[in-house]
Amino acid sequence: MTKKQKLDHVLRHGPLPGETLFLPILMHFAARHGGVSYAEFCADHHARVAANLACLERFDLDCVTLMSDPYAETSAFGARIEYLPEAVPRCRDVLVRDASDIDALPMPDVFRSERCLDRLRGAERFQRELRGTVPVIGWVEGPLAEACDLADMTGMFTLLMMDPDASHRLLDHVLEFGKAFAAAQIEAGCDIIGIGDAACSQVDEETYRTFVRDRHVELIEHIHSRGGIVKFHVCGNTTHLLPSFAGLGFDLIDLDWPVGIEDARAALGPDVLVTGNIDPVEVLERPADGVYDACRALVDGHRAERYALAGGCEIGVNTPPDNLLAMLRAARSHAA
Amino acid sequence: MDDLIARISHCIEFGKIDRASPYPPDMKGEDGADELTREALDAGIAPDRLLNEAFVPGMERVGRKFSERRIFVPQMLMSAKAMDAAMRHLKPYFQSGAVRRKGTFVIGTVAGDLHDIGKNLVAMMVEGSGWEVVDLGVDVAPSRFVEAVRAHPECRAVGLSAMLTTTMTGMAAVVEALRAEVPGCRVLVGGAPVNEEFRAMIGADFTSRDPQGAVAYLESIAA
Repeated sequence: MTKKQKLDHVLRHGPLPGETLFLPILMHFAARHGGVSYAEFCADHHARVAANLACLERFDLDCVTLMSDPYAETSAFGARIEYLPEAVPRCRDVLVRDASDIDALPMPDVFRSERCLDRLRGAERFQRELRGTVPVIGWVEGPLAEACDLADMTGMFTLLMMDPDASHRLLDHVLEFGKAFAAAQIEAGCDIIGIGDAACSQVDEETYRTFVRDRHVELIEHIHSRGGIVKFHVCGNTTHLLPSFAGLGFDLIDLDWPVGIEDARAALGPDVLVTGNIDPVEVLERPADGVYDACRALVDGHRAERYALAGGCEIGVNTPPDNLLAMLRAARSHAA
Repeated sequence: MDDLIARISHCIEFGKIDRASPYPPDMKGEDGADELTREALDAGIAPDRLLNEAFVPGMERVGRKFSERRIFVPQMLMSAKAMDAAMRHLKPYFQSGAVRRKGTFVIGTVAGDLHDIGKNLVAMMVEGSGWEVVDLGVDVAPSRFVEAVRAHPECRAVGLSAMLTTTMTGMAAVVEALRAEVPGCRVLVGGAPVNEEFRAMIGADFTSRDPQGAVAYLESIAA
């Protein structure tokens, strides 16, 4: 079976006999491992694809990804992004400072935005290199995350509380662009679209349900209608939102380390592929044997479910490669 | 008068800034922390009584609810804004010395890191508990922390924030610089990737998963 067939098998039929999928999130780590700067990794698909392919080979990953910094969409909306050699890029502009800025926001053209176009080129390149054998993950910012990128988090959270109507207008606007960007990535060759909406973990369930949940449903349905698989990613402790995540319709969910996999399974049911969720700080700091033991416990606990081993969030750039190999060994530890 | 103090405390707890603020919806059109604090001072309520009986208890309830995950960041931000609106009326009394703070707390997000929400939450909780807060912002070099402590001789503690595994390592350099230049100053560290093991490794004094922990620690050193 190819890696893509393996993923399809898990999603459609359940766990693979003798193997757990290995789906860690690698960005800055991948750049370092691939010998490119993080600035190149974020801004240039050649570097991102090459770095992912290097990690695919060394760590036997079960996917490759176009995920990088969160500013592809923000850049398309007109913000200036500063790329630093070895740090997360910086957004230099807050485009939404008050409600009046929302109506002035452009609706960008995916195919005329340098960053968005670069991601599409990356999807095409992955497909040329891998010929459909490895799942390719594209990425969109979820509506609340993108609104926070445009208004900054403090500004957006204040807007949610003070001006619900303006908040809805902004969230609708970014949702439309997110849908277009997701569709374009599927067209370009992405099998999976990750929806990253980290800001949601910082809001209460009522606020999530009032402002975000229906938009998540709409985005997920849109991706499915275009033939894409949906991976849902909200960093942080989302335990309080699990009841609201039930029924969203995503195919995979990344769980961060504070969330109990059992709690998620109870809320989401058996059909969702759960990935996670060792603390990336443990992967960074523990000796390889300790990482193996912790991951082995996860694998042993969940191998009978739709489950993939991963960090709770991104694997840190300074993580020793041996520790990632220890994770891999744990994922493959019950191979026949 | 007690009723006025209770109402101010309630406004801070529930994030009612002023009469014009539409939040929270069930207090729309009512006076907020801004108007009520002015009214209290005009009525002769002592500013230190307002601080200790309205502001501090209000923020304590906010911190407790946040720790218990009964409120989240947006609600805390609104409480912070309400407290700011009330605190503005007390500034002249702080400057004149009529009301005294528990001490000065310098806080910032370490070099290379631009995340500010966690830092802001800690800053506002600490300010609400009666400390003067010197907020250095984000992407702060070790030397700036040292300079800020030197510029505020009454500073008793410094808070360092980091949200990334890549930037939290920068906390070690700040701790080292502070230990060398201002040895009596306590150092608190926090942020998503920071744990007790890391705190011990870099030689900081305290870490906590939530802002309320920082407030309690500062309370212990102020006593």
